[in-house]
Amino acid sequence: MADVDNNLHHFAVKQFHKMLIFRSRPVNGVYLSVSGNVNKDTDMTFYQSEIDRIRSICYSNQGQIETVIGTRHYINNNFDKELNLDMLSHIRFTSKFHLLRLFRRYYGQTPKQYLTDKRIEKAKELLNKGTNVTETCFAIGFESPSSFSTLFKSRVGLTPTEFQKRATFAKSV
Amino acid sequence: MKVKIISIPVQDQEKALQFYTKKLGFVKKVDVPLSEDSRWLTVVSKEEQDGPEVLLEPVPNHFEPAKTYQKALFDAGIPYTQFNADNVQQEYERLVGLGVEFSVKPTEMGTVKIAVFNDTCGNNIQIVEML
Repeated sequence: MADVDNNLHHFAVKQFHKMLIFRSRPVNGVYLSVSGNVNKDTDMTFYQSEIDRIRSICYSNQGQIETVIGTRHYINNNFDKELNLDMLSHIRFTSKFHLLRLFRRYYGQTPKQYLTDKRIEKAKELLNKGTNVTETCFAIGFESPSSFSTLFKSRVGLTPTEFQKRATFAKSV
Repeated sequence: MKVKIISIPVQDQEKALQFYTKKLGFVKKVDVPLSEDSRWLTVVSKEEQDGPEVLLEPVPNHFEPAKTYQKALFDAGIPYTQFNADNVQQEYERLVGLGVEFSVKPTEMGTVKIAVFNDTCGNNIQIVEML
C-alpha cells in the first residue's frame, strides 16, 4: 500500500506547491507578496489560507471526488481480479472516458497505472512472506508468470526470484 | 540513480533524534560523528526500515541562508516535508497525546487528508493520508 499511496501523495502535494508558485508569479510586473505570515483578520498562517483557497479551486466538486475515491477503493479491493475501464465505469455509472479523465485529474495516473502499481506492491508483500513466484503471480491477477516477471523486473529492478532471495537473506541476517 | 535519503534541517540534532524516535516512532539507522557539533544522523520508518532514510541535518546552525529559509517557511506555516500515515486522525490523536502541537488539524483536501505539526526543531511537518 505504502509505495503506491506515496506516489499519489507526492502528486497531490506537488500540485499544491505548483499553485503556491503560481501565486507568487508576477502580476502586472509586481510580485504578489504575502503581507506578513499571519493574516491579521483571520489569524491564519499563509499555508492555512492557501489550503482553503486551493480546496475551493481544485476540490469543489464533491461528486467527482466521491467517484474517483470510490474507483480507487474498488481497485484496492479487487486488484486480484480482471479489471478494465468498462467495468470500473459501469460501477460508478459514468462513461469510461469520463472516468479515465477524472482519475487522471485527481490522482495523476490512469486507473491502469494505479492498478499495476498496486499489484507490484502486493507482489512484494507476498514474496516477502515466502509465497512462491507462480502463486504470487496468480494471487495478484496476472495470468502469465513470464509477463509478471518481466514487469516486476522493470519496476523493481530485480526479478521476483532475486527479490525473494534478497528478502529471505535480509531476514536471516 | 536512486532515492535513498531526504534531508530535514534541524536546529538541534540530539533534540531532533529524540523527537523523531520517541514521538514520531522512527528508528535510528546511521549515526556517524563528523565534527564536534555535528553528526551524519539518519532515521527510518519503523515499518519500512529499508526504505528512504531521513537525514537530520544541522545546516541551520552552519549556513545562515538555510536558517533564514527555514524560519520563513516555518513562520508561513508551510511544511518542510511530509510523511504518509495510514490514518491521519488516529496519528493526530496519538501525537497530541504526546504533547505535539498542530497548526493544521486533520483536514480533507479532496482526495487526501492532511495535518501539520511542529517538529520542535524549526520545521512544520505534514502528514498525509490518501482517501
